[in-house]
Amino acid sequence: MSVLETRECTIRFGGVQAATDVSIKVGEWEIVGIIGPNGAGKTTTFNMITGFYKPNSGTVRFNGVDITELSVHERTALGLGRTFQNVGLVKGSTVRENLKTAQHLHAEYGVVAGMLGFPRTFRTEKWLTDRAEAVLEIMGLGDIADTRVAGLPYGVLKRVEVATVLATDPDVLLLDEPSSGMGPEEAHRLGDTLLELRKEFGIAIAMIEHHVPLVVRVCDYVYCLNFGEMLAEGKPEEVRNHPEVVRAYLGEEADNPIVQAAEAAIEELVETD
Amino acid sequence: MATEVTPEADETALVDTPDEHGHHAQPHTPSTAGWAGRGVVVLLISWLVLLFPLSRDVSDLRLYGLAVIYAIIGLSLNVLLGYTGQISLGHQAFVGIGAFASAYMVSVQGQPFFVAVLVSMVIGALQALVLGAISLRVRGLYFALITLSYGIMAEGTLFNIEKYTGGSAGQAAPLPEPFETPHKFYYLCLLFLAAVVWVDWRLMKTKGGRALLALRENPRVAATLGIDVKLYTLVAFVVSGVFAGLGGALFAHNSEIVVSNTYEFRLALVFVIMTTVGGLRSRTGVIVGSAFFALLGYLIEHEYTFPLVGWHLNIESLLAKLPGPDLTAELAPLVLGPLLLLITLIQYPGGIGQQLRPLTGWLRGNRFDIHDRGDKEVVVADVRA
Repeated sequence: MSVLETRECTIRFGGVQAATDVSIKVGEWEIVGIIGPNGAGKTTTFNMITGFYKPNSGTVRFNGVDITELSVHERTALGLGRTFQNVGLVKGSTVRENLKTAQHLHAEYGVVAGMLGFPRTFRTEKWLTDRAEAVLEIMGLGDIADTRVAGLPYGVLKRVEVATVLATDPDVLLLDEPSSGMGPEEAHRLGDTLLELRKEFGIAIAMIEHHVPLVVRVCDYVYCLNFGEMLAEGKPEEVRNHPEVVRAYLGEEADNPIVQAAEAAIEELVETD
Repeated sequence: MATEVTPEADETALVDTPDEHGHHAQPHTPSTAGWAGRGVVVLLISWLVLLFPLSRDVSDLRLYGLAVIYAIIGLSLNVLLGYTGQISLGHQAFVGIGAFASAYMVSVQGQPFFVAVLVSMVIGALQALVLGAISLRVRGLYFALITLSYGIMAEGTLFNIEKYTGGSAGQAAPLPEPFETPHKFYYLCLLFLAAVVWVDWRLMKTKGGRALLALRENPRVAATLGIDVKLYTLVAFVVSGVFAGLGGALFAHNSEIVVSNTYEFRLALVFVIMTTVGGLRSRTGVIVGSAFFALLGYLIEHEYTFPLVGWHLNIESLLAKLPGPDLTAELAPLVLGPLLLLITLIQYPGGIGQQLRPLTGWLRGNRFDIHDRGDKEVVVADVRA
């Protein structure tokens, strides 16, 4: 059974059909890639899954339950975690504080109890701090726990963001361009981390990603969107060589010499990786 | 990210020269003398707040009481302006309604003072809840306009319902037993301020505060972290409303009478200015800033004498010598306030809290570092909310 599933989700904004009959499945232990040119509806699909947008038709299912009508934070409580394209962190706070913010649902006391300073809230806070540190340790970010987020380089921020979402204890991680702003080496390390997360915690992952070598290495299955429609799906290699996909990315016939040159370049990138 | 500790790295750590940002690699542990010095400063501040007022006369004590009450109101506004990024230009109504409610409960209903304070806090919470519900729909400038209209509306209508407010004659609000002298009441106000500081501190150290900071920065991110954005926006408004209601009740009894024209729009303006100049999200800053604005009129009217040199200084009479219209002490907050606000926005977005940071950091056991700007960054965009 798939953990996360969208069934023929369609959404319109005014006259623009942002997504048409998008059906995606993420199975247990699976890492799924979503690719497509800019404006293909990838982030829109994520927004329908996490609840920022309600599809005009179609349903979103999580562990077999229809969650289409739930609000964003309710979906998080069920086990959906998500990162953002432009880094979703509280910039004025430290890395550790960000993780503690993400453990909102694990803080088992009322706001009022917290405000009045009941003794057990102090104990819970201590426990949350320890838990945050454990997550940071796993992500190899232990030594920047006290650093304020605002000053960190972009690539590190992306890792902190993944750590933050992990702290919400998700069953499925939705990653929106996790490797953007990273060099090839950093991206490779990110791939290691993702595979590690799956192995250690059994987290299923769906990620929007442009970095082809990363997608080919870690993804079990890939969906390619274009103009809000599903263009192709299948194993990473199949999708990458799919003529429609190549055309969508390059806007030209696949036998065009420029396209061939571009393909060769991509090929080379994959090999060097 | 593992940093290898090489012998050289160790050596530089021992010397501990500050890096380009002026940060030291190692936490500082003050010597015994260092702690003693800090102790002396803490004692001086405690003396100023706790013992000095004992020797002053009654009219001064009302003023000090007002300074403490302003601090409570500043902290109330800080919850909205600092933690949620929402402005309230109608806070005079929150405070005023709290004041009238308490005076009414005590003078007309004959209820004990503490019941009256509780009623004021509940009424403050309810008003804030309504305003908070509106803020979920309308934000920024238009929300500011709504709070502005609400404040002025309350001023013109609610404050003049004869039955509850005593009309233009006002309502008596006696000093409560067993705090029946201005001196005792001052200490009661201090106790309430301590309670407000405690609640505010614990709020920001627990999940509620973290939720507020996250949703101020980005409601979408907050929601994906499992935070109920609507609920926590309302929580912030209610907390602010409770603080404002409490401030209002104390305001009433501190002056022993409530008259509607005390709580006019000018007051709301001063509240916003004192909170921002004090420093958003800085408790110390907000308290100092609020107290400063409460005492400003007095500082200007006061006749300073320097017996050794035989000098007399009165700022008001100096101001009167300036050409142009007279600047009375009453208008001072509205002239000096915007000037200080400009300096805050341009030079010190963290307000007084940021400027005091070298001192407060030192008191906490850090090195005295004049360039210390604290770990809480207040961006100018915040204050322009």
